[in-house]
Amino acid sequence: MKQILHIFAKDARHFWAEIFLSIAITAAFALFYPQQWVGPDHIHGVMGNQGTVGYQFVIAGQILLDLVPLSWWLLITRVVQAETLVGDRQFWLTRPYEWPKLLAAKLLFLLAFLYVPFFIAQCALLAETGFSPFAYIPGLLYNLLLLTVIVVLPLFAVATVTSNFARMTLTLLGVFLGIFALQASVQHFLPRHFTGIEGTSYTGQGLLILGLCLCAAVAVMQYALRRAVPARALLFGIPALIVLCAPLSARIEQHYSRVDANYPAAATPPVQLAYRPLAPGMQEWETYPDNGDVVIHASLEGTGVALGTVLVPDAAKLEVTAPNGFHWASNWQETAAPKFYAGAEGSDVTVAMPHAIYEQLKAMPLTTRVTLALTQAKATSVSHLPLPRQDFSVPGFGICAPLTGFYSPFSQATGLICRSVLRDPPLTYIGVVWSNAPCNLPRPESDPGVQGAGWAGSLDRAPADPNISPVQQVNFNLSNGSRSGRNGESRYLCPDSPVTFTQYERTGRTQASITIHDFYLPAVTTSNGETHVIINPTTTTVKDPNQH
Amino acid sequence: MTDAIRTESLSRRFGRTLAIDNLSLAVPEGAIYALVGANGAGKTTAIKVLMNIFRPTDGSAQVLGIDSRRLAGKAFQRIGYVSENQEMPDWMTVGALLDYYRPFYPQWDRTLEQQLVRQFDLPLNRKLKNLSRGMKMKAAFASSLSYRPSLIILDEPFSGLDPLVRDELIEGLIERAPETTIFLSSHDLAEIESFSSHVGYLEQGRLLFSEEMSVLTGRFREVTVTLENPVPLPENLPSTWLQPQLTDRVIHFIHSGYQDQASELELAKIFPSARDITFDPMPLRQIFLAVAKSGRLRTSSQPAHTSAEGTAA
Repeated sequence: MKQILHIFAKDARHFWAEIFLSIAITAAFALFYPQQWVGPDHIHGVMGNQGTVGYQFVIAGQILLDLVPLSWWLLITRVVQAETLVGDRQFWLTRPYEWPKLLAAKLLFLLAFLYVPFFIAQCALLAETGFSPFAYIPGLLYNLLLLTVIVVLPLFAVATVTSNFARMTLTLLGVFLGIFALQASVQHFLPRHFTGIEGTSYTGQGLLILGLCLCAAVAVMQYALRRAVPARALLFGIPALIVLCAPLSARIEQHYSRVDANYPAAATPPVQLAYRPLAPGMQEWETYPDNGDVVIHASLEGTGVALGTVLVPDAAKLEVTAPNGFHWASNWQETAAPKFYAGAEGSDVTVAMPHAIYEQLKAMPLTTRVTLALTQAKATSVSHLPLPRQDFSVPGFGICAPLTGFYSPFSQATGLICRSVLRDPPLTYIGVVWSNAPCNLPRPESDPGVQGAGWAGSLDRAPADPNISPVQQVNFNLSNGSRSGRNGESRYLCPDSPVTFTQYERTGRTQASITIHDFYLPAVTTSNGETHVIINPTTTTVKDPNQH
Repeated sequence: MTDAIRTESLSRRFGRTLAIDNLSLAVPEGAIYALVGANGAGKTTAIKVLMNIFRPTDGSAQVLGIDSRRLAGKAFQRIGYVSENQEMPDWMTVGALLDYYRPFYPQWDRTLEQQLVRQFDLPLNRKLKNLSRGMKMKAAFASSLSYRPSLIILDEPFSGLDPLVRDELIEGLIERAPETTIFLSSHDLAEIESFSSHVGYLEQGRLLFSEEMSVLTGRFREVTVTLENPVPLPENLPSTWLQPQLTDRVIHFIHSGYQDQASELELAKIFPSARDITFDPMPLRQIFLAVAKSGRLRTSSQPAHTSAEGTAA
């Protein structure tokens, strides 16, 4: 312990400037980053009467958000390379250093000057933005663990196999360029229909754990043995291995997909699907013209969803049978199709089909079966409240405020802005009532307002997402926020208008499917280098809806 | 007497280059052993293998009874290492450097430290990066001698230093000699001749000889034979005669196996008409030049390994 503290004290004296810089950046981040949500100059007051001073603070906060990991890079590199593990001329190699103690001294340094200040800054930032830090200690620690795994450990490992800051920088640049190049080449050979499905991927998680173990192994190996060449081979082989294995793992997962096991088909499906053909001739410009896939659209309507429940499409599968007997079935593909719930408008499901298959099936009536993997969730809590003028807390969700400013004349609220802690909030349905007229004008009694709604959050309930800021802005769009046909003028959320937050919790997973007869694949034409897709080239009739 | 350092068939390869080739030597405790050789001969590599900075490709080395591959941590409390190209924590002052090293060595002698600081006239408050090369070496010496190591290993310690600093360092070293073993490398023969007790000569990674200084200088003689009449140089001269030259009636060579009366009798037998035979002692520098120029890898019929072993015994 004596030697650990001795080396630690030496490093603390030597790197006081780097420590000061890192702590200053962290402190400034904790000070300025919350300005977008709190204080008199917060961002939604920027263009109103509040002036532009606050906006500069907000920009500073965003810059500092990026500077925090950069300061870690500096700190980790400098402290590890104070006793560099590469080369044969270092003073410490022939002194009575014990490698476990040297490693421990470096870790102690990071604990004292990276983790502790950062943890304090996170607590301060939480407190500043209206959250109690004590309620989120486990999540904050989990976030630190994730950041260690994603940022600190790889930086530490690279620092152990490079001799100075310049080499470290060049190495990192090389690694990033290598990863991009590998990814680009891999993407070239990986058609889009080989997408993984979130929540069912196991090889990706395995590779991540493998990468982390190898990073830790490289660091320990360097301290114990100082074998830079094999350590480098190991370390730089990790990203290459992960990237190279990505298509392989995707293919393995497609073949041995756990979707069918994880999403068991129910005897009574929670939703009855119906095909809702689009107007014939509807066109779009294909956004992925080069990967050899054609995107098949199926607009579906869901009925029979129980009140207080929602069905989230996670993946979709397409099976097609041609009149000549040719049959093709897609793999499970991740989808971001809209949710099914009582009162929902419908969902446009897309599935990618290889171009070669498309060529065999195009322009003929097909029997098509669309199957959706659905996550079921039920409402667990509902908060009704009149819209406050200032920040308001929604238990279990976060803190929200009326969004004023940028596009809003007369400081009228044109939406909501919300923030949550450490990760997305639980899946939440937000309902509002818009006013057609600005709130400072008298509202005609004949105008009951316009319902607006939006979904925020997710059903994934990990304690934290890795992030420098413990406070996240919640992204969601409220429908009917503008008046169509009247130049898109804004509607307004007036004080005391009703707002509803309905939070959902996952209850299970299931499947639902529909068979569509006389379904036509889109027509694809290419002109001037652009691919035009006529989604619904002819009318498709539905003969057998709700079949499972 | 045991050996402070002992290597057995030690080799170190860098890619296709064999930096040390089958090196076997022994450094007895208490010796001042000078490993000499031209630049690039492999001296620094040999020392770095001994210090476990490099791992041997083949063979083994024992340093203070420890396998060099296991030399780490506390084992270095008994070893002082100074190298001409060692990277030191330049941001520290001399005082801070000594303060920093002190707790690593339980046997650190504060009085000796102060004595060395005075002896080398070290400026405690100046940063190492602001010191001259000579001053840096003095600081390195002070930080490596203050804990009275059992073994001091010096890699070209006097290279590029002015004579005054060199003398100061040698003086400081000699004062420590009675209580320690010193192993140093150098390509400057004159500087080590005055105080080394043993010497080894490394050429292209191979040890040409390794023996006590007195034995070495004792067996090398510059021989001049003046004949009555000119005669051709005899064939099949002994292998211990290096660089034989005949000029009119004078034969000149270097005897690498000189043995007082035996050598005189041997010469008288080979050159019965010799009018005069002189045997002149040679300085170390001339011995090495002769060995190097002779192109012979062995100065005697015995292999170097045996010679080194014999010296060590």
